Amino acid sequence: MTIAFKPEETFRGDYTYRNSDAAVLRFPFPFPEDRYMYSVNIEPHVRSGPSDVFMRPFDVDEHYIAECRDKAITLERDPGRCQVLPHMMLAQWDTLELLMESLSADYPALFSLVKEGDDFGSRWTWTNRPLGLEQSFIFGDPATLPCEPFEYITRQAQGDFAICDQRDNNLYMDAGMVTSQADWSLEFDVGMSFMEWHGPVPLAHQTGVFERALKYLLMLRLGQPVRRLNWTMTINPRLDTSPENFPEWGTDRASVTPDNAGQKVHLRVELQTLWRLPRSNAILFPIRCYLASLDDLARVPKWGARLHRVLSSLPRELVEYKGLTRYLPAALEWLAQHDDGAELPVGTESGVTTLAPR
Amino acid sequence: MMHSDIKSRPVYQPLVPDLAGGRHLLVVEGETLAAGRLEELAGVFAPVQARLHTWLAGAAAPLGGLGKLWQLESAADVVDALACASRGYGVGDRLYVQGTEPFLWSVATAAAVIGFGEKQVQLYHAGSLRRRVWCTHCHGMTEGVTTSIVACGGCGRHLLVRDHFSRRLGAFMGVMVDAEAPGEIPAIEEVFA
Repeated sequence: MTIAFKPEETFRGDYTYRNSDAAVLRFPFPFPEDRYMYSVNIEPHVRSGPSDVFMRPFDVDEHYIAECRDKAITLERDPGRCQVLPHMMLAQWDTLELLMESLSADYPALFSLVKEGDDFGSRWTWTNRPLGLEQSFIFGDPATLPCEPFEYITRQAQGDFAICDQRDNNLYMDAGMVTSQADWSLEFDVGMSFMEWHGPVPLAHQTGVFERALKYLLMLRLGQPVRRLNWTMTINPRLDTSPENFPEWGTDRASVTPDNAGQKVHLRVELQTLWRLPRSNAILFPIRCYLASLDDLARVPKWGARLHRVLSSLPRELVEYKGLTRYLPAALEWLAQHDDGAELPVGTESGVTTLAPR
Repeated sequence: MMHSDIKSRPVYQPLVPDLAGGRHLLVVEGETLAAGRLEELAGVFAPVQARLHTWLAGAAAPLGGLGKLWQLESAADVVDALACASRGYGVGDRLYVQGTEPFLWSVATAAAVIGFGEKQVQLYHAGSLRRRVWCTHCHGMTEGVTTSIVACGGCGRHLLVRDHFSRRLGAFMGVMVDAEAPGEIPAIEEVFA
């Protein structure tokens, strides 16, 4: 398997980010039905599923190099996007180990890890070919890395990462690397309990979704990760939709018209996975973000029509919470031309192997 | 106290002495003492009076029955006093706080630093609903906010005061209200008097 990286593409400024046909076809489309509501949609994170992105525990795609660069830019501007509370050092090493082992096993042409032992004190050598990095270090000794282990490895991975410490039958967000978030602040949320950081989510608390999810996650077992998809919409292919920078990207929401919605409006899907960590007993929570424009999605007839129906019937509270209010009418007008009203099969599969020409 | 659907908003309960506790520290923000409240507290804490210290911030206490009484000027003095008290308190001790929300969380945060666990601390909200607001954009704090929208003391942006609350910061989240349409600022209402 070779990945044709697009190292020059951007997620800000001139926004040159684009999906290849292959990237559109493997997009993790999140809507199996014509209506959407919150649910505890957690399933085992196994190497199978309706999209190719599920085939490896940590997916690397054509945007890898460009995303890592965008993350570095965001961290340069705001180092507070990576925060780790002092008691989380063991979980930092757990995370580094999990990522290095997974990436080197699944992408041997891109990453390699040479170990002289599995325990603290052994010498490891990590090679990241796409980013041109090689690092020898002592596993367990932070002084042998250029920065702390959690920051070191998550700078080299797509998506955001939180680590949840487990104590008092609860989960606390006690570490995070958060540079591609859907409008939540690590600085505000760090240290919060599970219910607190989900506080603003509408409708779901009342139906007991979070109680059930927490109960489930407290029982999460080593070697049996789970996953779910979450979604929102973003104007322009912007990874850093942080609340910190809302003044920079907020006006984009007012720029959408029925004519430009196809290029401007993006479906933003988060592949959220959850991993029990072996030494710390914490839970690693990677949030991997995929972006596709309405133009991209409508090239898969089932997806264009389904998205139109989901957005048309979305409860008002969710429209508001996800920040869609200002541009949803324009997006719906654009999508309507791709929905003939015919019944669609249940499921998220694209149902096609090639795309209609652009 | 205001009701909110946002679950990060703390729920406060009346103070009740934990008889299993060793020493008891009651910290009260003076301005939140309604008429008769001190007498009421003295009654509630009577069972532990022999092991009770009361710190009263910013008010005079003309009354006995609250154990050893100490008067301090302000919340800042309470925080300083707690920081100096680290060797004096242990896992068996209990802390009870009455005050406005910024006061409660200033004290709770200082207590956490010297080792008070969550289960050792009770918080009771009284008096004004005014809020400490954290600016999502410049991360500055604006104190004493009573309105639905406030100009940030740090960066000047008009912030919508949300109900989302961080215990670590002891503050509510403020988000630029006109980020999507600069200059479109809704009517500002007095809501946290």
